[in-house]
Amino acid sequence: MSNKRKRMDFLLQVTTYLAASVALIVLSMIFIFVFRNGAGLLNFDLLTSDYHARFYNGGIEEIESQSQTEKPAFLTDTDYYSEKWGIALTDQDDKQGNPVIMISYIADDSPLKQMYDKNNDDNNDFQIQVGQSLSSIKFYDKNSALTIYGAQHMINELDAVDEFREMVFYSLGGGIRGSLITTLYTIGLTLLFALPVGIFTAIYLNEFAKKNKLTQIIRQMIEMLTGVPSIIYGLMGLAVFVPLTVRYTPATSGNILSGSLTLAVILLPVIIRATEESLKVVPDDFRSASLALGANSTQTTFKVVLPSALPGMLTATLLAIGRIIGESAALIFAIGTAVKDDITIFGKSTTLSVHIWSLLTDEPANIELASTIALIILIIVLILNLSVKLLSKRYIKKFSR
Amino acid sequence: MKEKVFNIRNLNLFYGDNQALKAIDMDIMSHEVTALIGPSGCGKSTFLRCLNRMNDLIDDVTIKGEVIYHDKDVYKKNFDVINLRTKVGMVFQKPNPFPMTIYDNIAYGPRCQGLKKKKALDEIVESSLKKAALWDEVKDRLKDSAFDLSGGQQQRLCIARAIAMEPEVILMDEPTSALDPIATLKIEELINDLKENYAIVIVTHSMQQAARISDQTAFFLLGELIEQNDTDIIFSNPKNKKTENYITGRFG
Repeated sequence: MSNKRKRMDFLLQVTTYLAASVALIVLSMIFIFVFRNGAGLLNFDLLTSDYHARFYNGGIEEIESQSQTEKPAFLTDTDYYSEKWGIALTDQDDKQGNPVIMISYIADDSPLKQMYDKNNDDNNDFQIQVGQSLSSIKFYDKNSALTIYGAQHMINELDAVDEFREMVFYSLGGGIRGSLITTLYTIGLTLLFALPVGIFTAIYLNEFAKKNKLTQIIRQMIEMLTGVPSIIYGLMGLAVFVPLTVRYTPATSGNILSGSLTLAVILLPVIIRATEESLKVVPDDFRSASLALGANSTQTTFKVVLPSALPGMLTATLLAIGRIIGESAALIFAIGTAVKDDITIFGKSTTLSVHIWSLLTDEPANIELASTIALIILIIVLILNLSVKLLSKRYIKKFSR
Repeated sequence: MKEKVFNIRNLNLFYGDNQALKAIDMDIMSHEVTALIGPSGCGKSTFLRCLNRMNDLIDDVTIKGEVIYHDKDVYKKNFDVINLRTKVGMVFQKPNPFPMTIYDNIAYGPRCQGLKKKKALDEIVESSLKKAALWDEVKDRLKDSAFDLSGGQQQRLCIARAIAMEPEVILMDEPTSALDPIATLKIEELINDLKENYAIVIVTHSMQQAARISDQTAFFLLGELIEQNDTDIIFSNPKNKKTENYITGRFG
């Protein structure tokens, strides 16, 4: 009997160990995968640069004067410099790991600054700059110099001529600034719509509503709504909010506003429930004490109960933000999947998680950048978590028994 | 000058179908401490909560009879409950300061009545804390959280909070049951001082406490008011056999 029981205990314990380690391994594998693939691309440039490469075709008339600038001292041996044209080029890899030729220096008196835009005569942004890449140089009487031949070849070819037909250069893409800004806009707008409605609904249900069948039914419905798959909300966004915003705003398709409205609907049940939970744990002592002092129920709710429920509501907000950052299915319809660089509330754009979706459905799928975005999302959520924990801890320390 | 503050006539209270108070008749005088004693579940706290209509918060309560406060029945339609509660303060069993600073706790009631002037509030806070014998202990830390105080101090803070409304009556529902003997003693001394200015109705489980601090004692049993008289008479020469059995510890 005792042996049997020992074996049983051992078996049960081993099962819990195994289950815990499986869970731990799976979770850490996700982290490791995301980190290994994504960490390489993670830098500040990624957050601030455009996603789409912008190409310029520069033409030049016969040069009036050569550059007089010598190779500056800060350039290294891997920077190839043409004294005649006043330009230094270097070989690099772009964010996707493809070889590119970067412009590492341009002299002030470089004749290349006299280039005009061959596509558009009055383009004011047109200016060759450090940080851009050279794609190709097309000459009049010999083969073009292309990226694949490297920076040194391009400089040599350039040094050998006094004029050329066309220089193609571009600003590197692959950044996520647009999606990041869209995500921030979406968070702001969604919270703006969902928080007041959600919190006031929770207050109504918990503080003012009579405790009867109807309230119970409403509560049940809200509970049910938390379980509805978000793609269904996405459908609603597509069917209701997108047409609505197209009708009444300058928008022409899915946009940040319609996406935020859809997300607000998704989040309402979450916020209502979390707020209600935090209101429920406020001791009734506070309510009786306030009422016994001749405060009415509105004063009691807003002066005593709500401040006590604040940490809970902060948590609700955190949950909401996490959900906004993570949501993709609903937003594929409600915002759209177009990755954009110029973000307006009524224009097309996409959030970080839908950006991941876009990258993975591209041909070929861009796992690296997707992992980097995943890593950024993880970091943002982590920071949010920590800051709310810190806030509520400070709050609790100040006002709890 | 003692005068009748509350005049309770034939008060019946039901929780659903369950009758918790049966035909209670009682007078409550100003400048006196009235103690309500009796075993648990006898209805004394329920009765206390009738006086400032705190039973309104409980669902499914029916009240019949009259609770007359200065010629007005508090259970009449259109009676101003908020006004009643500013005149009839309450101190609860567990100290229940708000999660605010000491200052804000005291200023809460006056602020709810629309008082905004800082100077007036300052004066109310100081005088209330002085009356509750707490001023010297907290005058340098008015901006601290009320939860930093000890249990006894918190309870005196709650009394000060009630005093800040300048009430006429203070209801106390076992105010010392959560406190140690020294804190209890301080509260009892405070009650003794307060009856100069207020009518005090106190529910207590301790018969010694009732004997020490009250002028009038009312004995409740199973929802009925068995006997009410001067405290001396109740404890030395009770007229009802049940009262005698209870105070001598034969049951309850």
